[in-house]
Amino acid sequence: MTPSSRPSGLAALIRATPSLPWFLGALTLFTLLVTTLSEALGTGLVSTSFLKVLGMTLCFCLAALAMDLVWGYCGILSLGHMAFFGIGGYAIGMWLMYARTEAIVAESLANQLIPPTEAEIRDAIGAQIFGVVGASELPWIWGLAHALPLQLLMVVLVPGLLALVFGWLAFRSRVTGVYLSILTQAMTLALSLWLFQNDSGLRGNNGLSGLQNIPGFEALPQAQVALFFFWASALALGLGYLLFAWVVAGKMGGVIRAIRDDETRVRFLGYPVEGFKLFVFTLSAVVAGIAGALYYPQAGIINPGEIAPIASIYLAVWVAIGGRGRLYGAVLGAGFVSLVSTWFTGGGAPAIDLGIYRIDWVDWWLVLLGLSFVLVTLFAPKGLGGLVDLWTARQAPERHGSDLGPDEGALREPEAER
Amino acid sequence: MLRAFVLALALAFALPVAAQAQTPDLGAVLSENAEEIAKPSRRSVGPVIEALVASGAPGVAEFLARWQEREVYQRESDGRFVYIEDGRMVGVADGADLGAAPEDGLDQIRPNGGVRREIAGALVQFQLSAPDPAERRAALDAISSDMARDQIAPLEASIPGEELAALKARKTRLLDMLTARFGSDTEARTAAIARMSSGVSVELRGVLNQILEVEEGRGATLPPDANLARLRVPGSDLGIEAAYAELVKADLAPAPQSAEDLRQALAAHIEGGSVGGLPLARLSDPEARRAAYDALAAEGRVAPFVGPAEMMAAVEAHVFYALYEEPDAAVTTAAAEALAAVETRVALSEAVDISLDALSLASIYFLAAIGLAVTFGVMGVINMAHGEFIMMGAYTGYVVQQVIPDYTVSILVALPLAFAVTFAAGVAMERLVIRWLYHRPLETLLATFGISIALQQLAKNIFGTQARPFTAPDWLAGSMVISDVISISYIRIAIFVLGLLFLGLLLFILNRTRLGLEVRAVTQNPRMAASMGINPGRINMLTFGLGSGIAGIAGVAIGLYAQVTSEMGANYIVQSFMTVVVGGVGNVWGTLAGATLIGFFQKGIEWFNPSNTLAAQTYMILFIILFIQVRPRGIVALKGRAAGQ
Repeated sequence: MTPSSRPSGLAALIRATPSLPWFLGALTLFTLLVTTLSEALGTGLVSTSFLKVLGMTLCFCLAALAMDLVWGYCGILSLGHMAFFGIGGYAIGMWLMYARTEAIVAESLANQLIPPTEAEIRDAIGAQIFGVVGASELPWIWGLAHALPLQLLMVVLVPGLLALVFGWLAFRSRVTGVYLSILTQAMTLALSLWLFQNDSGLRGNNGLSGLQNIPGFEALPQAQVALFFFWASALALGLGYLLFAWVVAGKMGGVIRAIRDDETRVRFLGYPVEGFKLFVFTLSAVVAGIAGALYYPQAGIINPGEIAPIASIYLAVWVAIGGRGRLYGAVLGAGFVSLVSTWFTGGGAPAIDLGIYRIDWVDWWLVLLGLSFVLVTLFAPKGLGGLVDLWTARQAPERHGSDLGPDEGALREPEAER
Repeated sequence: MLRAFVLALALAFALPVAAQAQTPDLGAVLSENAEEIAKPSRRSVGPVIEALVASGAPGVAEFLARWQEREVYQRESDGRFVYIEDGRMVGVADGADLGAAPEDGLDQIRPNGGVRREIAGALVQFQLSAPDPAERRAALDAISSDMARDQIAPLEASIPGEELAALKARKTRLLDMLTARFGSDTEARTAAIARMSSGVSVELRGVLNQILEVEEGRGATLPPDANLARLRVPGSDLGIEAAYAELVKADLAPAPQSAEDLRQALAAHIEGGSVGGLPLARLSDPEARRAAYDALAAEGRVAPFVGPAEMMAAVEAHVFYALYEEPDAAVTTAAAEALAAVETRVALSEAVDISLDALSLASIYFLAAIGLAVTFGVMGVINMAHGEFIMMGAYTGYVVQQVIPDYTVSILVALPLAFAVTFAAGVAMERLVIRWLYHRPLETLLATFGISIALQQLAKNIFGTQARPFTAPDWLAGSMVISDVISISYIRIAIFVLGLLFLGLLLFILNRTRLGLEVRAVTQNPRMAASMGINPGRINMLTFGLGSGIAGIAGVAIGLYAQVTSEMGANYIVQSFMTVVVGGVGNVWGTLAGATLIGFFQKGIEWFNPSNTLAAQTYMILFIILFIQVRPRGIVALKGRAAGQ
């Protein structure tokens, strides 16, 4: 291909990621549909609580997208990505809680004869927020909580820095494969254990609550707030998709996939493998943090349990069921599994009466999920995305029987041919 | 029998008593104090008891004991005190048979709680020489828990007659302690302190601390001739504000104003929208508030402001000190030296205790991880459901205990049964899932994780979310107490022994049996092993079953010590993988080293910060992450071809 005939810009992107227009179109349609059915602007067929569920699902999809970038494209199975998601949530939650408490405190101090000093306001906020854990002073972590722009910066910076440091340490010493997975799992476990302490400065196992009340928008009904967050989540998902499509499309995308298939060979070809991995890992951590920052104001509460290792493993489950190594697969998997899960555990699925035993899905859903996950891993490694392949009749590249990569985590011939 | 006892008591008290009364007669003392004995009150009973003891009459001890037990009656007709034995009245003083006890005409004497305590105090001296060792021991315990000056004499008197060496030693120690605290001359007290100050017992530390009790004081100068413990220097071992607060409390300085006091004082003096000449709106600034307050103070309407400078000046003008309540400096010096020595020994013992704790934690980690050392370490299979095998083992123990109520038998049945159950589960899992995924570790991880979720939920559905009881037999309950500081529970010892047993067993199987040889051959090079006539499929199946079975047995042991819940396995899985990874994959010794390192490290952190196990776990994981940076292949790294790719 000569440089002159190479398509440029968006055209190149679409060529490399054919799903991009389809996905963005579908997302726009979905957003418009939900908006017209919402309580705030439409017929009210979609209740506000369900609208929130949909908005949160979109955030999960964004997190799954980030997970797919590191795992499906770069071959790093991170079992700690929900830690970044949670950190994003904590970062925005701190501002939400601070600003709201500040408003309450200002109101209660307003009718005093002497106007309050700044120190008095801070003390009162501290007592209000930390009363539950028996403290009254604002810890240093809350030093920036009064300013929304700074705290928004934290949403990006803290997960990014954590991923950067952790990734640098891990990749530098060539920790790969399963070891890296266990290490990331240990990281998220350490973080959640630390947050569980009362003196961590983030209210211990109480977590941050009341996040659904957005300071400055108290007058707005929740139906509208939920719709705004839904739009924001959809926008973030669309932008995230665009960003990742761009990352995996060009030459860099080629190197990233090559690292997944045979890291050693890429290193011998002269590419700085650690740098690429670090970039991908950090970028996806930042996106996961943003997803978390959008998720928790809709969920209303965040506590350290959300960061427990199991949450990150579910993220991997979603991506695997959706089909890793393809962006829409991650979105599909996260959306499908989390919505079905809500349906089953929320009592939506009818119980099956076997005569001697009644299968109540609230109890049996996890058994079903676990087993179907095993089946997907065994028989359909391409996940739901494989269905799309059937439809488009995509052909696997002919590799003459050799492994697609000798690396142990790599895709192998039987899968590629399927 | 009773006579002999009373006689022994009388002998013990013969010397001091003989000087006072030639013919000790209980009856006379009783009738002298009849009124007080019949209706004793806590305040006035003391002299009566003293008189009774001082009389040295035979039968005093028995009378006191039965008086305390409300077994003494007074005959209404003549006021004689009697006991009732087999329905007959027996005179207290002379033991004369006074005929059958009538239905009425007898008053039971009921001393109240306070009086009974007084009597008990007096009885101690009799009990110290009682013929029953248990009673003597109880008397010593009573003295030890509530030491008093007047116990010295009876205790000292009881020592020569003591026959049991252990009790004699205890009495001597207790006498030393009493002498150290209440003795009258310095020499004797320092000598007693020197004699008693070996060992680490809480009792000893209590005595020394009581001798060294200090009272904190402050004033313009040091009090003369006081036994100074130390000076408290403001700024270094006493905060300036705390020091000032002491001065305020002792009325040596005016009270300071807090920010809140300042605000209230200002609020009380608002005049037409301003205070002290400053408009209210400006008062959100601390400086302005202070200026307003100073203006008020200058007018004399509020007390002058006490700021940091004033506080500092006041504190500097005074001396802060701590004085020993004990006036004798020689004694306190000796006690302080002794306490320092004792505390060094206590610290050493604590280190030993922590090491024992760490060893037992390490053996728990080892037990939880040893199955993984086989499946993950030797075979290279990531089994995220390993924790659920531990849980299955524990639930097996619980179910067996439901069927066989005898705890000892049920555990002996549960151990092999748990092995069988988890062995079967492991073999099934290997055949159905894992063997299709041998070269794809990440997918093995995910598939076994799916199984882990399903098993956990299944256990929840069957056994419920509440913790199930799985009780250890009596011979495993309690703990081995080596000293007041060092103790270890028998269950932990059992887990330690079990861990050692499995280490030996596994090493034996892997290194000394045909199966072990084949396992090592298959893991190193399956194709070559197959060419040599080994069936790799069968070996993989058996090895995986072995690892799972060991997890089941570990589950029984852990279930005895921790709670049996559906989530118990999940609590161990990350730690177990850490143990194997830190120790070094592919080597059972590595797992042992990893478990030891992690156990000791975690306990070490807990030692520095005892209140916070969560923080200890956090730091431990951070440490492991950093450790893997330094030794990516673990402590015991395989070398050469065995290390693989």
